[in-house]
Amino acid sequence: MTDQTAPAVEVRNLSKSYGDFVALKDVNLTIAAGEYFVLLGPSGGGKTTLLRTIGGFQRPTSGEILLHGKSVGHLPPDKRPTTMVFQAYALFPHMTVLQNVGYGLKVAGLPKAQIAEKVDQALEQVGLKQFEKRKPHELSGGQQQRVQLARAIVLDRDILLLDEPLAALDAQLRKDMCLELKHLQEKVGITFIHVTHNQEEAMTVADRIALIATGDLVEVGRARDIYRAPEKSFTAGFVGENNILKGKALEVNGTAATVDVAGSKLRIDTRGLLVQAGQELILSIRSECVALEHAEGAEPPADGMSIMGSYDESVYLGLTTSHLVRLPDGTEMISRVIADADETLPQNGAPVRLHWKPSDIRMHIQ
Amino acid sequence: MNEYENPWLHRLKWTYLLIVVLTLMIPVLYVMYISFNANGFGANEYVFTLEWYGLILSDEILIGALRWTMTLAVVVTVIAVPMALLAAKYYKTADNKLFVVFLLLAPLFVPPDILGSALLVSFKNLNAVFIWVGNGLGTSMFDSWFRLSFMTATIGLIIYTIPYSFVVILITMGRYRNEQTEAARACGANGWRAFWDIEFPQIRAGVFSACAFTVILVFNEYTRTSLLKGGFDTFTTVLISQMLNTGMSAQSYAMSALISFVAIAVIGSIILITLIRAETLARIARGKPEPATS
Repeated sequence: MTDQTAPAVEVRNLSKSYGDFVALKDVNLTIAAGEYFVLLGPSGGGKTTLLRTIGGFQRPTSGEILLHGKSVGHLPPDKRPTTMVFQAYALFPHMTVLQNVGYGLKVAGLPKAQIAEKVDQALEQVGLKQFEKRKPHELSGGQQQRVQLARAIVLDRDILLLDEPLAALDAQLRKDMCLELKHLQEKVGITFIHVTHNQEEAMTVADRIALIATGDLVEVGRARDIYRAPEKSFTAGFVGENNILKGKALEVNGTAATVDVAGSKLRIDTRGLLVQAGQELILSIRSECVALEHAEGAEPPADGMSIMGSYDESVYLGLTTSHLVRLPDGTEMISRVIADADETLPQNGAPVRLHWKPSDIRMHIQ
Repeated sequence: MNEYENPWLHRLKWTYLLIVVLTLMIPVLYVMYISFNANGFGANEYVFTLEWYGLILSDEILIGALRWTMTLAVVVTVIAVPMALLAAKYYKTADNKLFVVFLLLAPLFVPPDILGSALLVSFKNLNAVFIWVGNGLGTSMFDSWFRLSFMTATIGLIIYTIPYSFVVILITMGRYRNEQTEAARACGANGWRAFWDIEFPQIRAGVFSACAFTVILVFNEYTRTSLLKGGFDTFTTVLISQMLNTGMSAQSYAMSALISFVAIAVIGSIILITLIRAETLARIARGKPEPATS
């Protein structure tokens, strides 16, 4: 019996190795029932391995997986309360859309009339009712992925695993499908676990995001928190466009520390981290939080919220423009603004001051 | 034809192809021609007849050999093709694919007479060992297990045909994506159901081709069969024995021609049906609108 009050997925001390290569290292994770959870990270980081292990397509080297409170490590994929949407090539090419969507119900031994009714509803939900007689090769990439979705949701399983379901689609279609996925999850109310390396896709659909890299679960949090207040420097570097600065703590005074970055003394909230004078630190600040202004002199201001540099160049990105500034130690910082007026741009090499609000800069310990 | 190609070069290629096919087929056509001659092979006068075909059924040696050959072909196909299929499935998931291929194709690189005689010696030794064990146990139950027989010929032919079946199946299996099996498992199908419902329909052509190929190989094979068969004859061993000793009988020419007719008709039909089906599918595809973009 499954425990419906227990989390949908609990991963305990999960490790997975392929010979000498360690794909997952002691991962612990809890996913609530009805949550849209995203596993985000760079390619080869271990997120697909985690998803496939939850789905029963790979056996863990050590650790445990519980689905609705029940250990499933010994069960094959067809005995788990999960189903899966694959990146591509997973539709059965010799079957029509109707047969593809109804396949799982046929395997389950449902009567034909009930299969027809459920398939009809599922195709209605993904907006493909008029394509039911077509074979997969007669559908576009987006339609094929919708058929996969219909084939998965028609089974009424508790957990839907999505392995890079939008990776093979073009940018516009991916955006549209992201919203469709989110709305579908809200409608069916089951747990979605979605793997992607695309942060925009993750932000669009996720209730919570887990960042996975080099086999480690780096950080878990709400999409907004992961973006605005990353705990780890890796998260700051991977999500959004953060400026990553290296510095050294000069003095620690209560909840704030003075940190030397490229000759400027910055005042940073320690966020409860144990920091000592002389310690090497990593600082992160999102590029859209950094303001740029012409500097009158070359001396760094003593406000603790700004840094001096020389203007490098600007990159026009349509909606935003990125200004690149070189710090005295060679580090490059970016200030991103929603404006493209360039008549007041500094000359290349001109001294500029970058500044921000105290709450925007975050301290990380390696 | 390539639009920039010289038309004469194009005609030359077709002529070359025709000459190659005729060169390959003339001996077969000649056998067919003789099989309709009332005066048999080498006669000065050619008189058309169907008599030899009528007499095939009365030639007990030939009919017996054909029956053995058919039985051998069926048994070898039933065993070798599933084994080759399993090997091909294993190959797809194996880490060291080169080693698997080497193991499976190795029998192809051993000359047939060497492989046949090696098996002959092995069976004789095994037979001696089993008789010795049986004597020790006071039973004659094991005496005939590895005596040259239908079973030893079957083993020899399985070893011979598996590499061919493996290659034929592997070619069709190469197009198959494993994600489809995983998708079927995710839909609740167990391993066998996923194979039967999803994978097999897509590799069926390769499996049936492997079956056809195996039957043809069993009909063709002489060296291993003659070394391992024991007390029965196959169609090929009878024909070769006749050729080497008394010369082929008129019924043998008729039977050879009949088998060639049937083989060509079957293969020709498969090609024709495949071409017609491909053309029909292409016409359907042309008639349908382009996939709608989302």
